[in-house]
Amino acid sequence: MAGRSSAEREALARQNAAIMAVFERAGFDHIAPDIIQPADIFLERSGEDIRARTFVFSDPDGNELCLRPDLTVPACRYHLSHAGDVSAEARYCYLGTAFRFPDELLSPQEFNQAGIEWFGDSDPVGAEARVMKLTIAALEAAGLARLKVTMGDLGLFNALINSMDMPDRWRRRLKHQFWRPAAFRALLERFTRPSAVKRTAISAHVDAMAGKDPEQAAGALISELGLPHVTDRSVAEIAARLSEKLADRSEAPLAADMVRVIETYLAIEGSVTDVVADLARLPSSPALDGARRWFEARIEALEDQGLNPRRFHFSANFGRELEYYTGLVFQIEVEARNAPLVVAGGGRYNDLLLDLGAPRRVPAVGCAIHTERVKAVLA
Amino acid sequence: MTATTLTLGIPSKGRLMEATAALFAKAGHGLERVGNDRGYRGRLSGLDGIEVAFLSASEIAGQLREGKIALGVTGEDLLRENIPPTDDCADVALRLGFGPANVVVAVPECWLDVAAMADLEEVAEQFYRSHGRRIRVATKYVHLTRRWFAAHGVTGYRIVDSSGATEGAPAAGLAELIVDITTTGSTLKANHLRILEDGVILESCAVLAARREVLSEARVQVLIRALSKAL
Repeated sequence: MAGRSSAEREALARQNAAIMAVFERAGFDHIAPDIIQPADIFLERSGEDIRARTFVFSDPDGNELCLRPDLTVPACRYHLSHAGDVSAEARYCYLGTAFRFPDELLSPQEFNQAGIEWFGDSDPVGAEARVMKLTIAALEAAGLARLKVTMGDLGLFNALINSMDMPDRWRRRLKHQFWRPAAFRALLERFTRPSAVKRTAISAHVDAMAGKDPEQAAGALISELGLPHVTDRSVAEIAARLSEKLADRSEAPLAADMVRVIETYLAIEGSVTDVVADLARLPSSPALDGARRWFEARIEALEDQGLNPRRFHFSANFGRELEYYTGLVFQIEVEARNAPLVVAGGGRYNDLLLDLGAPRRVPAVGCAIHTERVKAVLA
Repeated sequence: MTATTLTLGIPSKGRLMEATAALFAKAGHGLERVGNDRGYRGRLSGLDGIEVAFLSASEIAGQLREGKIALGVTGEDLLRENIPPTDDCADVALRLGFGPANVVVAVPECWLDVAAMADLEEVAEQFYRSHGRRIRVATKYVHLTRRWFAAHGVTGYRIVDSSGATEGAPAAGLAELIVDITTTGSTLKANHLRILEDGVILESCAVLAARREVLSEARVQVLIRALSKAL
């Protein structure tokens, strides 16, 4: 279908006006971020899967540009260029087209996203609950009912890993691989038997680091082998990984009971209110206790918003595909003709503004609604 | 008389064309150039219902995918790059053996800390932390690269399209590593690149590929049997 008829256009516009009215009434400033964005900002921050789906082109000066594949980063860039103090609280809403190469049959290459982004929030769980409430209210204003809400919490996972006794570099790797369940499992396996890692073509280079200054030793090895130094990866970076590999060999294995705790956590799912009891059975530590209090406070905040979190589903595994989130993640599905259809999603992403050039970390929480999917469900 | 003539795409020139012509001749179905369109159309001696189209080697896989040709001789690398495993429109009917070459992941030899794909994701993360940008992979095999990297849990990279002299990209500062085709590895060696231990994506050779719907046809089976005897 090469475009919309006037009737279709009007129906979508009417639906989206109802969605935006909810956001605007709640005090969110209706902005219009740029459609054309510098490509690097998206391409450097998303994995190759999103890059593969982004429309990239060059301007006459050879700069790489793209059509925004999503509106969160454009809203962040709007904030960074307009706000006097980027750390001060700001609440935006938007309605605009996003562009992606279709990844499956019937997925559109341009679609309208409605969403909100709340920067510099001072009451974290309050803001999270409010964003979820407004997302649900907007979907209901559009005419949807029987919404299925799923939540995850990366704060719990990070706290769990932070509370365990293991080298920092292992923590970093586990958190990094959280997004990739198979690689995560392989890593966990490796940490339970660090000395059993089989020798490879580079094991001799690792041997050569023993008892030496890693950077000097790696530099000496490279010149001894007569290898030219190509690419921007420095000798220091190469040496750092070699010495990590050396340290791993003699590291105490990750205790079996810790692996069990991680696995137990990742298997937790159920009603958001029911899983509180499951979470309580995990061992106590300052970090994890803090994350659990946060989780429980969020439940209360959701109730304060007039929502019924008992009906929300929690899955510790959820959010494993959404890379920039740092805490709460959620998605909302509706039963469609054949299968449930995801119509909205969101969460907390406290690192993104800093990553995009803010002078310091700025808390952020937001959501986005896929408006054509809402329309499709209602049709 | 057969209902419709099937088109067989053959590379129009080069060593792949010569080896193909020799194999077909040995199989008793030599390539004969015919028609007004002299030079670009042909037939197979002793086999009716299949016409030959002499095409640029890079077009054959794409034309198979689009159904413009029913059969084609091409490199398995190009076939796999153009037709994903999830798309069963066409597949290898017979491996022809000639034109052997591997599609490989290769990194600078000076990366002493990188042995395998598992190292790459860590390097990608480290590189992003210290340089603020993704490591770049130069390749013309965009789809093969994406599938292979995804299967090995490597995500923090960017693909840089490269259609020629890919092996020079790291030294030229255009990419950090490459995915490319190699026969002896000597070009990689000359450019101080090393293949990862689990970095062989595909052991490619020339193949006869066929659209699924024609595979069971008698004339296609005759051709496959004759060619496999001649191998």
